[in-house]
Amino acid sequence: MFRLVALRMLDAIPTMLLALTLVFITLRMLPGDPAIAALGEYATPQQLELFREQMGLNLPLWQQYFVFLWDVVTLDFGESLISSFSVGQLIALHLPFTIELTIAAMLMGTIMALPLGVIAATQRGKSADSSTRIFALLGFAVPDFYLGALMLIVFALNLGWFPISGGGSDFWDRMHHLALPAFTLGILKAAFLSRLTRSSLLEVLQKDYIRTARAKGGRERRVIYRHGLRNALLPIATGLGLSTLATLSGSVAIELIFNRPGLGNLLVGAIEQRDYPVMQAGIVVFAFFVVLVNLALDIIYIFIDPRIRSE
Amino acid sequence: MKLNRRHFLGGSAALAGFGAMPAITRSAFAQSDDMLRMAFSARGNNTLDPAKSIQGSDEWSIIHIFDKLVELPRGRFALDNSEFRPSLATSWEVSEDSTAWTFQLREGVQFHKGYGEMTSDDVVFTFERLLDPEQIGTRRVLFENISSIEAEGDYQVTFRLFTPDPLFLSGPLSSYASSIVPRAALEEKGEGFERDPIGTGPYVFERLDADPSQGVIMVANEDYFDGPPAMPRLQAQYILDTTAHTLALMSGEVHMIEGVRGPGWVPSIQQQNPNLLFDVASPGSFFSLHLNLTYPDFEDIRVRQALFYAIDRDEIAAAMAPISQRTYGVLPPSFPGGFTDETIPDEIRYDYSVERAQQLLSEAGKEGLSFNCFTSQREDYSSVTLIVQEQLRRAGIDMQLNIMDHTGYHAENNKGVNTLSQRSSAYPPVPTQPYLEMLSADAAAKEDGSGGPNFSQYGVEMPGIDDLLDQANNEPDFDARLELIRQMDEQVMSDAVYLPVSTNGYLIVRSPDVDLGYEMESGFAHWRLDQARLT
Repeated sequence: MFRLVALRMLDAIPTMLLALTLVFITLRMLPGDPAIAALGEYATPQQLELFREQMGLNLPLWQQYFVFLWDVVTLDFGESLISSFSVGQLIALHLPFTIELTIAAMLMGTIMALPLGVIAATQRGKSADSSTRIFALLGFAVPDFYLGALMLIVFALNLGWFPISGGGSDFWDRMHHLALPAFTLGILKAAFLSRLTRSSLLEVLQKDYIRTARAKGGRERRVIYRHGLRNALLPIATGLGLSTLATLSGSVAIELIFNRPGLGNLLVGAIEQRDYPVMQAGIVVFAFFVVLVNLALDIIYIFIDPRIRSE
Repeated sequence: MKLNRRHFLGGSAALAGFGAMPAITRSAFAQSDDMLRMAFSARGNNTLDPAKSIQGSDEWSIIHIFDKLVELPRGRFALDNSEFRPSLATSWEVSEDSTAWTFQLREGVQFHKGYGEMTSDDVVFTFERLLDPEQIGTRRVLFENISSIEAEGDYQVTFRLFTPDPLFLSGPLSSYASSIVPRAALEEKGEGFERDPIGTGPYVFERLDADPSQGVIMVANEDYFDGPPAMPRLQAQYILDTTAHTLALMSGEVHMIEGVRGPGWVPSIQQQNPNLLFDVASPGSFFSLHLNLTYPDFEDIRVRQALFYAIDRDEIAAAMAPISQRTYGVLPPSFPGGFTDETIPDEIRYDYSVERAQQLLSEAGKEGLSFNCFTSQREDYSSVTLIVQEQLRRAGIDMQLNIMDHTGYHAENNKGVNTLSQRSSAYPPVPTQPYLEMLSADAAAKEDGSGGPNFSQYGVEMPGIDDLLDQANNEPDFDARLELIRQMDEQVMSDAVYLPVSTNGYLIVRSPDVDLGYEMESGFAHWRLDQARLT
């Protein structure tokens, strides 16, 4: 078990290195001078040169690359080219907002999706199944920014139940600010996960051992949840993992519309302003989470599926 | 599934809970009414150092924390030097040749948080810092005409200039960058000053949050020399998304937001709440089109004139109403020396005429003209350029448009490779400045991107206005200077290299609960709120 986990962690190193190299190269290919983006068009050539020198932007690319790698290893991403806050401060502020949104959205999505998926699978072809299908189709079809705006107008502006924007300050305030964006994202996640649960459960429910369990006189609820859903969990866990990754990196529109100070929001701003240190740090953090979630999935598989352990 | 009594009761309880939420949450939202909250379309604060700021939204905080030597009249640009209001300077004198400006400083003005009295040493320090090539500043170009700053005692300073500048107050000294900073605080805080600024202004900096939705919080300076401001606290929040900041205003979370400079936005928000107030600072940004003289099809003046006739500037201004106004010459009508509908000579009016455009193209043998062009995705750029594209199509001109991100657009455009460059830029009411920056040979765009915004290569590819500009810059008499400026305007328009499309005023939408204390007519993209109060 330990060996398996260690092997998976070793696998992550070349993945991270590849991701870092791609990040570095891609960012340097974007048009736009970060010095001009930082100092504006009225800066003199002398000031631009001074800025490049101070920020290490005039070093040869290969040197910049190794400085970047060293910064990653030492977790020191330096100063933002645009903001008066250091990159570390910016990441430390923005990352928790993204993590809490992801966790809350995935929790809400899963809580909605599992019962819906089970109902759809067990009531196959009936009105309950059709209803969940319509819900899922709507979830796939409605863009996140549109649903977000709709939620804001109904629940924040008209009903006044939730704040319009921001991330909140103390714990309860943060939860209050989190509820609506997490619910919005949760609905979208539930659309995907409910379909996945339905199809996975349907497949399992046709297996011989389910028929045997029923023939032995097991209660239907027990057959579905203990024998059916448990065995359907492997693809659902994969879907959950992929969906978590997509939520981590893809909640930019929700962060923007709810004005949450999340990492996606920070990263998009950094790309627009060619703030290399923030861009690099943000993408490194995302890449780290991709590796981490994949690793977590591998470990979860070991617990869910005894066959992997025996292998 | 059947509905039984247990389900019914459970559902009813949940509904009742939801119904009760507004009462609970609304009271939780009740925000103190001692703070005026503004929201700006930006991702966050970049700096609060006046010498470093290039982001308009940050300047709203800067102008409340700091003071300049002189202030514009409330709500508008000054029409002449007598209209400037004393601030840290109580009076001033100018030499006959406009090369020496002497200011008497206000005595007893204290920097915030115990950093002592503001004296001539701080004024000298402020401007020497702005001019220091070893300092990373952003507005140095504004102050390059200053040859020296001399302190005479604690309360008098004299600026000596390289060339005469009768508009020294309107230009360099009206910029927020000329805000007076304390030597002691800068030397003590170093780089940290931009996150913990010390000024003399009506508000004292309290807190800068890395969370943009918290932004900058300032508290009233009870010892302000002009009396304490009306509102005890002021907050500058940053909400980038248009929907989010519009909803923040509608819900009462903020009292003022930065408006969107795009077609149809104002009417749509007015429909939602007809009581909202709109403050427009005109002229705002000059939106101009620059025809690249190095592009072979634009070498022929008839082709350039055809483009001018094919673009309906009245239609563009109407689409961007009420913030936009058509311009006739390089300078907008509200600027000293600017042509108006009545004063623009007929031969350079270029009133919209598809027929005239087609006739000129035919004479030049360029029927079916087609060219590639790129623009920025930013709302004001893309909106106007898409309208221009459609107008050109009506005249049979095919402009293939590529829309790119704003930073990328500027990077490519600065290399002078665009055929029809667009530029949106604000200027103080110093009539020579737009010529100097956009039309002088020195400002010609360069292949490596290090040049200026003369994207037409005017004065390089063909004779420009450089001689007239030199004469104007050395002319101490204001009226004589304006006459030279009109001559430059006529020449630029006759050569058809630069089309002034419109000016787009800077827009703030205000809750009817906020009394500004004065009317906004014109000015920079920021104005003081020291008289503003919640009614």
